[in-house]
Amino acid sequence: MFRRKAKKKVEKNPYVPGPCTVLDVFKETGDTFSIKLDMKIDHDPGQFVQVSIPGIGECPISICSDSREFIMLNIRAVGNVTKALEKVKAGDVLLVRGPYGKGYLMDRLKGNEIIMVGGGCGIAPLKGIIEYVKNHRDDYRDVHLFFGYRSPKDIIFRRELEDWRNSYNLTMTVDKNEENVFCHDADVGFITDALKNSGLDNENKVVFLCGPPIMMKIAVKILLDKGFHDDQIFVSSERLMYCGIGVCCHCMIRGKYTCVDGPVFRYDEIKGYGND
Amino acid sequence: MECFRIEKTDFEVFLLGLMKGHQVVAPVKRDLVRFESVEDVKDIFLGERSFFPAKKYFFPQEEVLFRFDGMSVEVPVFHRPKRVFFGLRRCDLNAIKHQDLVFLQDAHDPYYAAAREHSLLLGYHCETAPSEYCFCDSMDLAEFFDLMFYDRGEYYLVEVGSEKGKGLVDDHSGLFRRFHRLISQMEKRIPGADRLERKEIGGLYDHPDWKKGVDQCLSCGACTALCPTCYCFEIKDEVGLADVKKGSRNRKWSSCQLQEFTRVAGGHVFREKREERFKHRIFHQLEYFREKYGVDLCVGCGRCIEGCPTRIDFVELINGMKMDEKKDV
Repeated sequence: MFRRKAKKKVEKNPYVPGPCTVLDVFKETGDTFSIKLDMKIDHDPGQFVQVSIPGIGECPISICSDSREFIMLNIRAVGNVTKALEKVKAGDVLLVRGPYGKGYLMDRLKGNEIIMVGGGCGIAPLKGIIEYVKNHRDDYRDVHLFFGYRSPKDIIFRRELEDWRNSYNLTMTVDKNEENVFCHDADVGFITDALKNSGLDNENKVVFLCGPPIMMKIAVKILLDKGFHDDQIFVSSERLMYCGIGVCCHCMIRGKYTCVDGPVFRYDEIKGYGND
Repeated sequence: MECFRIEKTDFEVFLLGLMKGHQVVAPVKRDLVRFESVEDVKDIFLGERSFFPAKKYFFPQEEVLFRFDGMSVEVPVFHRPKRVFFGLRRCDLNAIKHQDLVFLQDAHDPYYAAAREHSLLLGYHCETAPSEYCFCDSMDLAEFFDLMFYDRGEYYLVEVGSEKGKGLVDDHSGLFRRFHRLISQMEKRIPGADRLERKEIGGLYDHPDWKKGVDQCLSCGACTALCPTCYCFEIKDEVGLADVKKGSRNRKWSSCQLQEFTRVAGGHVFREKREERFKHRIFHQLEYFREKYGVDLCVGCGRCIEGCPTRIDFVELINGMKMDEKKDV
């Protein structure tokens, strides 16, 4: 290697994704599925990756696992990219970049009881916390899960439910159960009502909310009525985003960038921002 | 900063010399004044502030991030010509400085960096506000240039602003003569460009007058396209018709003034009303950018007002709000 040129230090191109092999695909519900990707990255629960299929496009998906060997993504087929992702099989390759964003800062919340309130697909990022807590069980106290679904057929992560019920205080609701089918002891009603009636106080607790905006809005109100402080509540926000690195500006909420300052915000950081 | 003098006849020689190794980009008057590559010094038009900014030379309206063939990805090699920009006004120069903060300092964006790397920025000082819409003097702009040219009729006074600029003068030492004094602060002023009375608008977020400003908005996005600082973009894949596996991932300018800007999968639009989008643009320019980067994004060039088909003037709007506030006190 006599003539080897001195290599100029090349900075990583922030927009170029790398190939990742699909290890497994699980059907969750009619329009949701989980993909297990061969991606060995260090990440926090609540962070996301940009997944793409060349020619279709790229979209942000939150990581719903806690492993350094692989990542799990739970996806609902609603947009162009997610509909295309529905067709991938084990062994296929996807282009992925990340992880991005500020997730749940679990380190700083040690010693607390944890309440999670999730609705529909919003349960996916919370699953990342559940697995994190499982891997760091001594650092946290009781875990209370409040998970709401539209109907019994929308219940995702059925494979995990038994484990969650055995290890944590799991409350499930379905908005409606017209066919009156078995649905894992879920009550009919809104998950926010279950939260309201739970009798939980704010002592040594932190709350993670992720779900439809209306659910989060009502849940925040209930929590504040129960005496929770703004800094005990963490909300997850959804915005259109392209770059993932705080440049393209699509995900701005007032001066905050969902992709860099979020997607998880402590409630006092974005209080009153509403639709901005 | 050091100061030199160059006769206008020598200036032509200077630019012609630069054209041998560089693409010289300067304002040219066509239908409207825009920055173009010039080969004849006489084509350069300095009578007005350009209608279009020089933004596209660093941040093109559309550019390829990478090409793909199936899952294999290839980043284009960056061949950017060496460019000398002449005729940049103080607003244009500060706009480049602000985009540098985003693309160079923050994002380490290789596409922008390649375009910026071999560019020389030669400014042209405005003796007075070149447009009735200008308000750069309200914006605390910085001294940012390689060389700044002050028009003195028969000759230019030339202020050096960087090592690169000094090198350029040194390379043409036969044409530049050292001037006996520095440019004074009075000479640097741009009279008539201070019409924005207050740029701290944090307390005006809930002011009802924002609505007044947008009743005439057509959601055309001209304001963001003409703005020298607006840097929002989207990323889209383009594929060939013959082989859909081959194509490129491109980034394109996008406009926060359109509903699509915040439309998520499923169809929800976060900033659905024009008023919300208008306010977001002004707040990004005058508040949010400063929170993150320490300076206002807006450089007071007034292009967004001049280019607006209904001439919505956010400067007058904010000045008006201030008066209302005074009444309350």
